[in-house]
Amino acid sequence: MPNRLAIVGIGQTYHTSKRPDVNYAEMVREAVTAALADAQISIKDIEATFMANMETFEAIYLPDHEMAAEAGFYGKPGLKVGTGGTSGASAVAEGFYFVASGLFDVALVIGCEKQDCGDTTAAISAAATPMWGKGATTGAIGEFAKQALSYMKTSGAKEEHAAMVRLKADRNACRNPYAHLKLGLKNLEEVLKSPYLVWPLRLLDFCPQSCGACALVFASEKRAKKISKKPVWVADIETVHQEVFRAGVFGDPTGKETYAQNVACERLYKRNGITNPRKSIDMAEIYEPSNWEEMNLYEHFHFCGKNEGWKLIEKGITEIEGDFPVNPSGGVLATNPIGATPTIRVAEAALQVRGDAGEHQVTKDVKAAMATALGGPNWTVITLLKRSL
Amino acid sequence: MATVTEKMEGKDVWIYHGQIYIPNTYTAGAVGSQFLISLRDKKKIMGTRCPTCNRVYVPARSVCKDCYGQLDEWVEVSDKGTLLTYTDCQQSNPVQPVEPPIVYGIVQLDGADTGIVHMLGEVDLEQLRIGMRVQAVFKEKREASILDIKYFKPLA
Amino acid sequence: MAKKKMKETPEKTPKQEPEYIRIKFNQPRRYDWSTGKYLGHFYAEAKENKKILGNRCPKCKEIWLPPTPVCPKCKVDMGWDWKELPQTGKVFQYTYLVFPLWDPHYGERWANPYASAIIELDNGFYYRHFLEEQDKEKLKEGMRVRAVWKEDYNERGQGPGDILYFKEIGKE
Repeated sequence: MPNRLAIVGIGQTYHTSKRPDVNYAEMVREAVTAALADAQISIKDIEATFMANMETFEAIYLPDHEMAAEAGFYGKPGLKVGTGGTSGASAVAEGFYFVASGLFDVALVIGCEKQDCGDTTAAISAAATPMWGKGATTGAIGEFAKQALSYMKTSGAKEEHAAMVRLKADRNACRNPYAHLKLGLKNLEEVLKSPYLVWPLRLLDFCPQSCGACALVFASEKRAKKISKKPVWVADIETVHQEVFRAGVFGDPTGKETYAQNVACERLYKRNGITNPRKSIDMAEIYEPSNWEEMNLYEHFHFCGKNEGWKLIEKGITEIEGDFPVNPSGGVLATNPIGATPTIRVAEAALQVRGDAGEHQVTKDVKAAMATALGGPNWTVITLLKRSL
Repeated sequence: MATVTEKMEGKDVWIYHGQIYIPNTYTAGAVGSQFLISLRDKKKIMGTRCPTCNRVYVPARSVCKDCYGQLDEWVEVSDKGTLLTYTDCQQSNPVQPVEPPIVYGIVQLDGADTGIVHMLGEVDLEQLRIGMRVQAVFKEKREASILDIKYFKPLA
Repeated sequence: MAKKKMKETPEKTPKQEPEYIRIKFNQPRRYDWSTGKYLGHFYAEAKENKKILGNRCPKCKEIWLPPTPVCPKCKVDMGWDWKELPQTGKVFQYTYLVFPLWDPHYGERWANPYASAIIELDNGFYYRHFLEEQDKEKLKEGMRVRAVWKEDYNERGQGPGDILYFKEIGKE
């Protein structure tokens, strides 16, 4: 039986598009000091550090080495994790396993990315094997464009529904002091006027490139109760890697393949006795790289039936005041420092459970929350957080 | 650069001569920028001091490695120092700052508690000694880069 | 939670906008990648005979492209069973690049606009490649297309790059 553990400290930077005032290491330190201050412990109490990042963006080989002092690694055990878009959540998984094993009591988990250092699409395109690459790679964007087309065709969702998702994300982001994109969009027409990047994805349909870092302090049960008055228990975590899709790289437009999201959430729900996610879980912070994906993911996580994702957004069910809030922080659509994004999902879900999300705290009481991550060709990490076990 | 594929002799195996070319920018940050600007504008080498550990870091950095404290005390260090160690490099590589042969050394400037890696000039390899006194030579045209120091030369 | 600010250095005047140094690094990094024997066989057939070949798993009988030594589904050794794929099919789905994104393998921006598609070949296999048609209005799901190869033998040897694009049938 794994030992119980909780999140006792949460910290993040104010995410933005450019941070010329800090170098990469200093930016990470901001998040780490914020998390340590939140937990009211010092770096000396941390026994192991885990860091997640997608390296190509900053063109630094071994970024953990570069920031050993600033991130708090210096002299401590730990790991650096790189699993593409899920890196941040994989670091959360690492922290979970190390503390759950009983070998460590207090761990620090960091997700970070400084995207003003490089060209994001080029970096992602570099993941494609060059011997097969030139032909279909348009980076992540092209793949999400094809998924969007698929979703429009099979579910009946319209461009207006995708625009509604962006409006929700923007409204929520404007209530979140840490979010990056706060556009103040007022209506659907503003979203539908935005130019196409890779048809049918518009500029506003996709996530931004942000610089930011997020840090979490994990503690075992005996330490957690001493450190924090409001520990957020990490009830469970599930990681599933996707196999190769036959058509498409990040998604399967033929509808014939099984998605890692489905496998991961079904395993997690079964292990935790969840038969109706909307009843057992109070809100979710999901990793949605595009607004079309958000509607698609509602279906994959069984928040609604097949082809009904767009109905949830139309009826306002996933708003902050709604019946099942999703991404009250603004989500990935508002903030996306790739290495940090999945860690931010866990951090925001934890803030909701604690009741500390301030203006973007959801109206209903949150006893259980789910945070998801998506990376590369649909690798998935899902975390379940609870107020009490 | 166009990529080229080349078939291996006698086998259906191809070698793809390619590249990864992603333009990158490194941000020095506020503290790093101050250090570099001071090299460019004043020909002065600055460090930051940790009051708890009583250590001066050169090049200037914002965090103390040992006590994790934030460093905001600036200290000017001398442009003269002691050579801690050295080596020479004969091989050419695009990432190197100048054409070989290059002599690299670690210099501890007077007033600093850390060494700085840089090149040595106006001296032959055989004449170098650990413990030698050296002095920074600045370039005429400076750009807020560590290479604004051209090299360190032996003090007469 | 207030943001921590660095104490200002004595030289800086309070009204000055601080100068931040950014150092650009634009060096391409050179690599030599080997195709290995499976992908190499694809390259050879494409160059010599203008054929598209996939390899077939002995257990699940699925055809895989790019060719692979281990079946991603069954995890068994693929052996050496090759199948030629048809060169015609219909467009299953397409997308259309509008914004000139940066291509890291060539160090230049993609020419814009261009269309890329998932093509359902006549045997049901899905293949991803460019389309010849550049006009977004003329692109349609379900349109019949055929592979067009580079005619010059010496220009081939780029694997899937030996197929220039898929062209609409009836427009030859």
